[in-house]
Amino acid sequence: MESSSERDLPGSKTGMHPAVEIRGIEKIYPSTGRTASIHALKGIDLTIERGTIFCVLGPNGAGKTTLISILAGLILPDAGEGRIWGLNLLKQRRRIRAVVNFASGQANLPDNFTSDEILNYFGMLYGLPKKERRRKTEELIVFFELDRHRKVPFNQLSTGLKQRLALAKSLVNDPAILFLDEPTGRLDPAVAQLIRSRLIQWRKVHDTTIILTTHQMDEADQLSDRIAFLKEGRIIRVGGADDLKQSIAFQQRLIIEGRNLDGPARIIEELEGFAIVEAEEGRLICRMDSGVDSLNSILEKLLTAGAVLENLEVTKPTLGDVFIELANRSDSD
Amino acid sequence: MNWQTDLIQISGFFYKIWLITKKRTYHIFEILFWPAIGLVSVGLLTRFLSLSSEMVAFILIGVIALSVVQIGQLDMSYLILYSIWNKSLKHEMAAPVGVSHIIVGTWTMGVVHSVLVFALLSFFSERAFGFRFVDAGLLPLILFFLGLSLTSAVVGILVCALAFRFGGRSHVAANSVVSVLALLSGIYYPVSVLPDPVRAVSVIIPLTYFLEYFRSFFGFAPSGAHPLLTGYALVLAYLILACLALAYSIHHSQKSGIILRMSE
Repeated sequence: MESSSERDLPGSKTGMHPAVEIRGIEKIYPSTGRTASIHALKGIDLTIERGTIFCVLGPNGAGKTTLISILAGLILPDAGEGRIWGLNLLKQRRRIRAVVNFASGQANLPDNFTSDEILNYFGMLYGLPKKERRRKTEELIVFFELDRHRKVPFNQLSTGLKQRLALAKSLVNDPAILFLDEPTGRLDPAVAQLIRSRLIQWRKVHDTTIILTTHQMDEADQLSDRIAFLKEGRIIRVGGADDLKQSIAFQQRLIIEGRNLDGPARIIEELEGFAIVEAEEGRLICRMDSGVDSLNSILEKLLTAGAVLENLEVTKPTLGDVFIELANRSDSD
Repeated sequence: MNWQTDLIQISGFFYKIWLITKKRTYHIFEILFWPAIGLVSVGLLTRFLSLSSEMVAFILIGVIALSVVQIGQLDMSYLILYSIWNKSLKHEMAAPVGVSHIIVGTWTMGVVHSVLVFALLSFFSERAFGFRFVDAGLLPLILFFLGLSLTSAVVGILVCALAFRFGGRSHVAANSVVSVLALLSGIYYPVSVLPDPVRAVSVIIPLTYFLEYFRSFFGFAPSGAHPLLTGYALVLAYLILACLALAYSIHHSQKSGIILRMSE
């Protein structure tokens, strides 16, 4: 199989190269007349080890899609260099495209082609011989539970089925690296979970390196071995989910539910190491920079101020907290 | 990449056009219905005007040549336009395929469709209007057809190049370039009747020479000594330029990010 032989070339799975190794990647989208030019990536350095699931997080417009599109060989960077699966990012783009594949949350595939036809067509574009295409189509149709819909035209499938088919298409060449751009962004939780479980299962069997962008923090937490946080075209933090959670300023999240919380809210705001991140009728969510030890003093102050407490909950920061903190942090921080 | 892989990738684009043809009734209409309507209309006009058999041959050669060029280029144009309309272009361009796969795969299907149209219209023209294409001989017929098919490839590749630059709006070019060629290359009349500045343009169009070459077998003297050679030299030169234009357009779409915007 052609794609397998490509995988064995410069960077075989037993080889020494990381899956991705890039330095100083820049991307500037030129002005179109109606829009100003956009400096989408400002010197990205990144190394991603083989077999990992690597997640790129960041606010809208941070450059996530641009980064993943460059790595997948879809668009060209304006500066920088790198290797994808041991292949030169700038000079061996076609060979890179043979060993990677790509799917996005906007599952757009030929409208009136059926699932079988789409998988067969893309199998051909990846150079798979007929027998291999048939085998792969069967495998992916079963894997993504598309059997009952294999003869249905793409434009008549539900959003969830379209996305499953798009993912099946992205695995047709058994890619060494799979790029996913917000793969579950438009899906209901059940389908999103099904897709996540399939990806984990696929990675286990095929040892595929998966690089994805997402706005679903639970997804990033569940899937990722490592996470990069991208903001305004720069990577501002890289690490495991737990490392990132520990790296932010606050240690605990305190949820207070009860009555007469307006006065206490003002008191909390004045305390050092406390901040209210969300306030609504009968509920306050605060961040605490100090540990659980200081809870006693805050409880005392709340009760003194006339609060009637109904529920109190202390939790660890989530990846969502990390996202909010890093997204809101100014460049000088 | 080896040649077997290349062959499979080329057949991928052939397969896509085949699926489009099979599933889009409008495409079948474009390939068979409109050319047949065009031939019958013009044929009846020649009968109404009581034209001589030579003049009927002159006109019908033009009509069939125009249909072959139009149908041949449509398959190439639609490959990219269809992907843009479906917003699936980035998925196809993310595959390890190159310009040569796109061109050879779609052109081959274009030739298949052109042969079909050519055979259908030849049959019509013989039965309805008594004009036999094969009277020119098999080799001239093949050379003429090949020249037309290469011309359609040039047009199709140029439309693809425009599509990578300007998106779905390029379908206007797919429908209008051939009409301009019809005007300039003497589909319904000899180029000698064109005004001087326009005739200057017609001499750089290969279709002009392919028509002159084939019409010479039916009693119309060509304007130059070697119309077939001139036609082939021009069409091959344009083919190279068109391929370069397509390669540049793809590169530009990847550099400017247009390819992503066309898939959103």
